[in-house]
Amino acid sequence: MTKLLKALAALVMLVPGYLLVVNAFKSQDDITRSPFGIPFDRLSLDHLGAALSNPDFAITKAYVVTALFAVAVNVLSLAVSAPAAYVIARGTRLRHRTLLGLFLVGLFIPSQVLVIPVIYVLKYLGLMGTVTGFLLYETTLTLPVSMFLYVAYIKTLPRELDEAARVDGAGPIVTFWRVILPLMRPAVATAVVLHTIGVWTDFVNPQIILGPGSSLYTVTTSVYAAIGRYSTDFTVVYPNLLMAVAPVLVFFVLLQRNIVSGLTAGATKG
Amino acid sequence: MPNSKRPRVTLPLGASHAVLLTPATIMIVLFMIVPIVLAAYLSFTDWDGLTPNPQSVGWDNYTRLLHDADVGHAAIVTLIVTVVGTLACNAAGLGLALLLNRPGRLNTVLRAVVFYPYVIGPIIIGFLWSAILGANGAIAHVFSNAGHSPLPFLSDPTWAIGSIVAVVVWSQFGVNVVLYLAGLQTVPPALHEAARVDGAGRWQTFRSVTWPMLAPSVTVNLVLVLVGLLRVYEIVLALTGGGPAGRTNTFAFLILSESFRANHLGYGAAQAITLMVVIAALALGLTALRRRAEDAVTA
Repeated sequence: MTKLLKALAALVMLVPGYLLVVNAFKSQDDITRSPFGIPFDRLSLDHLGAALSNPDFAITKAYVVTALFAVAVNVLSLAVSAPAAYVIARGTRLRHRTLLGLFLVGLFIPSQVLVIPVIYVLKYLGLMGTVTGFLLYETTLTLPVSMFLYVAYIKTLPRELDEAARVDGAGPIVTFWRVILPLMRPAVATAVVLHTIGVWTDFVNPQIILGPGSSLYTVTTSVYAAIGRYSTDFTVVYPNLLMAVAPVLVFFVLLQRNIVSGLTAGATKG
Repeated sequence: MPNSKRPRVTLPLGASHAVLLTPATIMIVLFMIVPIVLAAYLSFTDWDGLTPNPQSVGWDNYTRLLHDADVGHAAIVTLIVTVVGTLACNAAGLGLALLLNRPGRLNTVLRAVVFYPYVIGPIIIGFLWSAILGANGAIAHVFSNAGHSPLPFLSDPTWAIGSIVAVVVWSQFGVNVVLYLAGLQTVPPALHEAARVDGAGRWQTFRSVTWPMLAPSVTVNLVLVLVGLLRVYEIVLALTGGGPAGRTNTFAFLILSESFRANHLGYGAAQAITLMVVIAALALGLTALRRRAEDAVTA
């Protein structure tokens, strides 16, 4: 019984993935005639090649763009949230708790809806449709989770560390930089895993803030653009989806353990 | 003096703290607090996005919202997706976690298998499932090749809502499996041992040991899924596009499509504020409700 349930769960989860992989190598005719079959003698790389070399939405360029966005968001997020988390975690006053509350409210704000009034702020700042504007908003969306993780983690570090640094004449900035930040590695790793997945899978924000006008496509927005018009041509749909998914699946297989522990920490710390 | 340190320029304590706190605070204020306040203000105006001076209209946008059939329908769809989805994700998540809560290679692999959709992301998942469930999709072809008429997974409104729920659960419950597995790790084996010694059966052990000890996990999982499902957007966009004929519009979907049809941004803001308030109220309310169950554990 247990085995049967497990097998059923595995089947339900894996069949869509199987279809995604297999059909990326098949012709439209083979896909419609036998979606689940593998016509070994007629498999071809042509459609994947066509998706790769599509001049309108170069998926290889989208990989680079999205990866750079992920790096930028992670660096910026760490740079602003870790120092603030240090002060809040060590602070005992009401204003520290209030400030933390302000960040944690963000956990419940739907980013897809928040983005609409954000457009006005970005327009006012002259940042609408720019990479800077996108990165600033995307980074802001990571702050609630980062603060949540970092504050909880710093609280587990003994205060004696701070005292020792103070005796040695270090102020809070030096203490943070030399003593606390180097010890934050596990929490930073968790945040990086979560935010990288977040940026890679985000669709609404790049679509709305960068927009088709900027000609900068992330993986999700380029797939949306590529598939949108041809949703019944499966030789376009499956290869594009496979190209979008391939790098994350590699990332997933390599880092599965870290993602699992990151997810758990992200949801339960504090 | 052998111990002398080189003189350091140190800022006063308050100034140092300000340096450390300011960048993050500016960002959260500028891109989260200000937009929310702005949306709240606009929701009481008739702003069309063009005229420089929005006119105050009081609660008009909100009363209009109550009588708007599209909004009502989107609210019902969102409610169905959220309630059914939250229950299903948690039942499936906890159920599978209980089956996988034993070390072993196969269990590790299966844990990975159930939550890989998390790294694929909702927009890709939506497209993949629309290629499977669509009128021209994989399952339809299997049916027609076998001489049956295809099932209207995405073309009939009721079926389409069911399909959305199924795909949402498919893509999210793996996260619940992972979180419940972590929760099960916190149940001390000694308690299970004691229950067994007392002659408790499997169900009894679950009912009186595992379940109460899992209370904090249940809270986290319920709130997480609830907050996630109330904002379902991308899967709907890629799977049904809100169709057929707007019958599967979720609230978030309605807000995003309305806001860009312009001309009534004040009204769109009222919808956005309503969704945010509902999510915050439900998340806080659920957390407060669950606190009783959690206190029972620690007491």
